[in-house]
Amino acid sequence: MSDYAFRKIDIDALDEDVLLPSDLYDPDPRGPDGVLSDAQSKSSEVRNLISRGDIAGALNTILTDPPYGEGVDEAKNLTTTALLLILNSTRASEISGILKALGQDQQDHLMAYLYKGMAAIGQGGDVSGSVLLNWHEKLTEVAGVGCIVRVMTDRRTL
Amino acid sequence: MSAPEVFQLSFGPLTGIAFSPDRSQVAVCPNSNEVLIYARNGDSWDLKDTLAEHDKLVTAISWAPNTNRIVTCSQDRNAYVWTHNGSAWQPALCLLRINRAATCVKWSPNEDKFAVGSGARTIAICSFDEENNWWVSKHIKKPLRSTVLSIDWHPNNVLLAAGAADAKAYVFSAYLKGIDSKPQPGVWGDKLPFSTIAGDFKSPNGGWVHDVAFSPSGDALAFVAHDSSLSVVYPAGPGEPLAAHISVRLPSLPFVNLTFVSESSLIAAGHDCQPVLFSGSSSGWAIAESLDDPASSGSKPLTPHATGARPSGGVGRLGNNEAFNMFKAADSRGQRGVPAPGGAPTSAGLTPVGSDGLLLTVHQNTITHVEPYEWNSNGDVSKITTAGRDGRLVLWTVPAGKGGLAGKMAGLQV
Repeated sequence: MSDYAFRKIDIDALDEDVLLPSDLYDPDPRGPDGVLSDAQSKSSEVRNLISRGDIAGALNTILTDPPYGEGVDEAKNLTTTALLLILNSTRASEISGILKALGQDQQDHLMAYLYKGMAAIGQGGDVSGSVLLNWHEKLTEVAGVGCIVRVMTDRRTL
Repeated sequence: MSAPEVFQLSFGPLTGIAFSPDRSQVAVCPNSNEVLIYARNGDSWDLKDTLAEHDKLVTAISWAPNTNRIVTCSQDRNAYVWTHNGSAWQPALCLLRINRAATCVKWSPNEDKFAVGSGARTIAICSFDEENNWWVSKHIKKPLRSTVLSIDWHPNNVLLAAGAADAKAYVFSAYLKGIDSKPQPGVWGDKLPFSTIAGDFKSPNGGWVHDVAFSPSGDALAFVAHDSSLSVVYPAGPGEPLAAHISVRLPSLPFVNLTFVSESSLIAAGHDCQPVLFSGSSSGWAIAESLDDPASSGSKPLTPHATGARPSGGVGRLGNNEAFNMFKAADSRGQRGVPAPGGAPTSAGLTPVGSDGLLLTVHQNTITHVEPYEWNSNGDVSKITTAGRDGRLVLWTVPAGKGGLAGKMAGLQV
């Protein structure tokens, strides 16, 4: 056991000029409380839109200014649940049309949520791999591999 | 457009490359601690000199066009200035005073100083100290938060742009007392003492900045980042908000290097293995065309784009891939080389692979260098050179005029 104990030493604590996540992106200007109330109102709005059959509108709402960064886990969970609800309630034939109508920012955010959803498979929750893969395929056709690279690069984790 | 000239200089990556002033020689580093100087001999390059002084990988080379001096920098944290004494290249030490690898180096336009970027979150601005006969450096440290990956000089010999791994592009003043005369006030500022920040700009999705470049006038700055984006910034003047900050998010893989060819066009290249021409102005920038013209090089339209017709019965995206088919044929039928008929290249694969298993682009791996090679009478770049991880050096003709662009853009799937 002691062979690798040294790996648990927090070497950043010994470096006075350490690079923090906050050096690499700006925190959300709304603040944690603002983000949470925003996420709550959006997620109930999304449920309304879905019940009226307006999938494109719902997707547009949830992918605009999503919560990112640290300390907003509850808002992130709310948003992810609402998003997965949208993905699950969309007919496969409609996906392409909906994706083309999204802005570049929203396409990038959607890709990030798709990967987040894939990471959550097997940990409970309402996630279906085939649905996510279907969206992923269509989104890559519309937004290209550049969209995937942007998700991997972005430090503002959703 | 004439076909590109292709030279295989090495079988490994080329980590640094610089042409001599008259373009008859080229200095390259074949991913080692040595710099090889080749002289052009018709269609081939003959090894002429070897510059061996560094202990570790040479990361960048810059060859001054007027004073005919070479500066090299390396992961051994040193830089050497090489001067030719008539028979051989003599190194002169430069005191960089950095504690991490040097990553990039460039002579200033007047060739009286050069800048070295490093992993020590530092840019060293070096000038010659006559008394001691060596090069001394002054450091720019703040507000760099990570490794400096690229630098570029403004034509006024004072301003310096830097791209860093903290996802920002910076513009600094590298004014050295006693060397520089007071710069003319311009869009980047009027008072510019050493290490003044004239601007810092973020990439749109937080990708680290691979390369920065000033436009020929110096009034615009472009940079490419790892979030597959190209940004062009137009400052309005000191203390004023930017006149324009254009970010183009690309559907393709990230660009690693770029160079302006005129005030309204630039060429970027990177992980897509092909140089791409962009054109635009302060109102917007867009892809014009790929220089790897399918008609002349035998490759296909701009490629790494997961669209296009997909044949039925393929195994997902792989079903369309020539390399996949090649291995499948080799596996199931013991067939080597050319795959079954009907396996003509299609544009649906992620990477355009030909029937021989090679990429259909001229470069076979990431392009890491794009530099101007020749200028026309207007001062615009007429030829560029690219080099990359495939060890190839390629000379491309820059498409002239805007006449044929509309037609070519129609064929481009972006």
